Amino acid sequence: MSAIIENNQLPFSAKFLQFYKDRTLLAILLSLFAVMFIYGIFFTENYLTITNFKAIIRDAALYGIMAIGLTFVTLSGNFFLLSLKETASICGVTFAMGMATGFGSPDLAGNFLVSLLAALTVGVVSGVIQGYFVGMGGNPIVVTLGGAGILYGIGAWWSDNLVINFTRPHDAEWLGTGSFLGLPSITWSFILIAIAAEIVLRHTNFGRKVYLVGANKAAGKATGHENFSMAIIVFTICSVCCAFVAVAFVAQMDSAQSNYFSAEFGSSGDMTILVIATVMVGGNSIMGGYGSTLRTSLGAIFIAMVDNMMVLQGFNSGPRIVGVGLMIVFSIIVFGLFAKGSRAQE
Amino acid sequence: MSTNPILKISNVSRTFGAIQALKEANFEINEGEIMGLVGENGAGKSTLVKIISGFDPGFKGSYQINNKEVKFETPSQAEESGIAIAQQELSLIPNMSVAENIFLTGAKVKKFATLNTLAKMARPYLDQVGLTEVDPTTRINLLSVGEQHLVEVARLISREAKILILDEPTAALGEAESRRILEMVERLAANGKSIIYVSHRLDEIFKITKRITILRDGVSQGIQETKDIDVNKLVEIMLGRELANMFPSKADHISDDPKLEVKELWPDGVLEPVSFSAFKGEILGLSGQLGSGAGEVLASIAGALQSRSGSLTLNGETFLPKSPSHAIKKKIAYCSSDRKKDGLFLGRPIFENLTSPALGAISKYGFNFGSSEDNYSRNLAKEFLIDVKRMHDESGLLSGGNQQKVALGKWLSIKPDVLLVNEPTRGVDVGAKSEIYQRMRELAARGITIIFASTDIQEITYLPDRVITFYRGMMIDEHRLEKIKTPVILKEITDPFNETNL
Repeated sequence: MSAIIENNQLPFSAKFLQFYKDRTLLAILLSLFAVMFIYGIFFTENYLTITNFKAIIRDAALYGIMAIGLTFVTLSGNFFLLSLKETASICGVTFAMGMATGFGSPDLAGNFLVSLLAALTVGVVSGVIQGYFVGMGGNPIVVTLGGAGILYGIGAWWSDNLVINFTRPHDAEWLGTGSFLGLPSITWSFILIAIAAEIVLRHTNFGRKVYLVGANKAAGKATGHENFSMAIIVFTICSVCCAFVAVAFVAQMDSAQSNYFSAEFGSSGDMTILVIATVMVGGNSIMGGYGSTLRTSLGAIFIAMVDNMMVLQGFNSGPRIVGVGLMIVFSIIVFGLFAKGSRAQE
Repeated sequence: MSTNPILKISNVSRTFGAIQALKEANFEINEGEIMGLVGENGAGKSTLVKIISGFDPGFKGSYQINNKEVKFETPSQAEESGIAIAQQELSLIPNMSVAENIFLTGAKVKKFATLNTLAKMARPYLDQVGLTEVDPTTRINLLSVGEQHLVEVARLISREAKILILDEPTAALGEAESRRILEMVERLAANGKSIIYVSHRLDEIFKITKRITILRDGVSQGIQETKDIDVNKLVEIMLGRELANMFPSKADHISDDPKLEVKELWPDGVLEPVSFSAFKGEILGLSGQLGSGAGEVLASIAGALQSRSGSLTLNGETFLPKSPSHAIKKKIAYCSSDRKKDGLFLGRPIFENLTSPALGAISKYGFNFGSSEDNYSRNLAKEFLIDVKRMHDESGLLSGGNQQKVALGKWLSIKPDVLLVNEPTRGVDVGAKSEIYQRMRELAARGITIIFASTDIQEITYLPDRVITFYRGMMIDEHRLEKIKTPVILKEITDPFNETNL
């Protein structure tokens, strides 16, 4: 033991944890997957079917994409964008308005590209504005909670709280319900976005800056990486992800209403909570500077697996929401314990 | 003097990970005695203080109070035995009254007590520390910093502390306030309290202590009677070698080719605009105590602190940096005094720290696939004697000296023309100190202009080619090469206008 200390100048345990931290956490997540999987095979009917797994990934895709966007915010140390579902809501309303009315000009009604661009633009604008205030030093919780109210309110006001319908066939079907090589478009989007995000984080200057600024804002500023521009970019990325999910979801439903992402969405009721849960279950550090979008993607699939199993076991939505809550608590405890072991002493 | 130490520590050692903070420390204090505790940064003073005050139970060795072996698990247990500590950073609540702060824990106070009752109860303690004229109902943040220190001590006395540890109580204070603290210490000792006085200010140590314990590299160097020892001897024991050997030799001459011209720079904390030039390849030291403005001038050159006016001229361009990133673009690098706060990304690997200011240079079209970064960070690590095998470790796992090398070394990645360093060796062990000085000298020899600010008088005397002294926000004087003398500088940074007649 003493020889090890001499050679490596570090106690063995710290060295071990330091070196294997990433792998250990990944191993925990993977073994949880395995446990779920085996449990599913033996105790749940209709579990081991291709259709069911496609359904799991498909479920994971919607909030997984938003969670990937949110991961950028969290990694950069800007905590959370709490206006996730409201951003999605207003973008969904915008998209449906475009598809249904063409924003007042009948020529454009049903034009997918225009509607998509409009929805993404709304996402960009709301992201830039919220990012600007956070970058100026605003508390992200306060800024994005305020943003949430404003965004939701505008969407509800604009749509008179009504359901905006547009009828099939429409140009957005391919995104909403279409599929390619046997996988739904939204699943493909999830996969592509997850890969792209991971490449950006690992192999670009921007990605490195996200980690650095997240690890220490003051040191980031001192080395020329200000949180001001960082906040604007990450909030915009996150909002655009919300906008994209909203478009896909609205395209699937052929309709939009401002409260779609609060009440109607998926199994777990509130979209914002579900997305934040995904980031947390993936084991990303709430304080920033540590984590990855890969973890978030795995977290999304894990939550979808648990949820799927509970559905097949016949639970209704109440207990399933409890399940998501328990997963957050559990993951925070597990990851917290491991992260502590490896952190440097003062 | 019948000496039976009321507190005695023998053969204490303490390790943190690979770092041995204390190797073999002995310490004792008698009743009513003022014991000085001195040592360089990193010598183990703060570790010893933490052990004595119960913050750190994980040590090996013997700890006796009144000849009885004790083992404190928490600071409150130590407090019950009459040991209390006033930390360098105050733990008062700014918008509560003096009396409320004194009785913050609520011990000895009835369940319901008005501010007036508390004020009456607080009076005697305030008198003891010499705050006779302060109204106990005043809010803490209306008092001066020195008075706040006194309140902190009053709080300790109120809990019937017998042994008081004062950790650098005068570090942030001016001359007059410091004197109040010293008077209080002497008064308390006369009342039978034992006081462990930790300070870097050797003049104070000589003025008030009876005996001095000197720590060097975690080993206590025996207890010295203050009257038998002089400053030079004390410093020699502290450093374990002749002062001058730690430092590389100075330049033969100073180039007269001004590299950086600072004109009328006027940041907060400086009384009047400051102008000076720095020459190519020299090491320029800005000397001054805390609050003298030296550090502020440095930060404003780097754009980390806004300046009201003025400009810099570097390489024929005249500008005033608005932000650190602006300064970095102009090849000005700034290593701040607090590496944990804004010098290092502690949770990130060493190589990411080393390349953090120069991401543009290691990437192509914004993409970075590692190989160029690898070379880059390896070269920097070799140059700064950082272990290349540990490049993927978190920088937070390094010792203070190695952290400082990373914090400083990362700036070479932008190939700076001007390197600004605030407190180049704060919290760094002696060996790393010497290495850092060596490195700074080599960089200067390569033509980089280095400006550093320091409160460390040895550093200011032996490292730079030229020194500018600061006192309370004013530039006082400039000295060159062999004209740099410790007494002159000390005089200029503590009392240039003969205000105190010390």
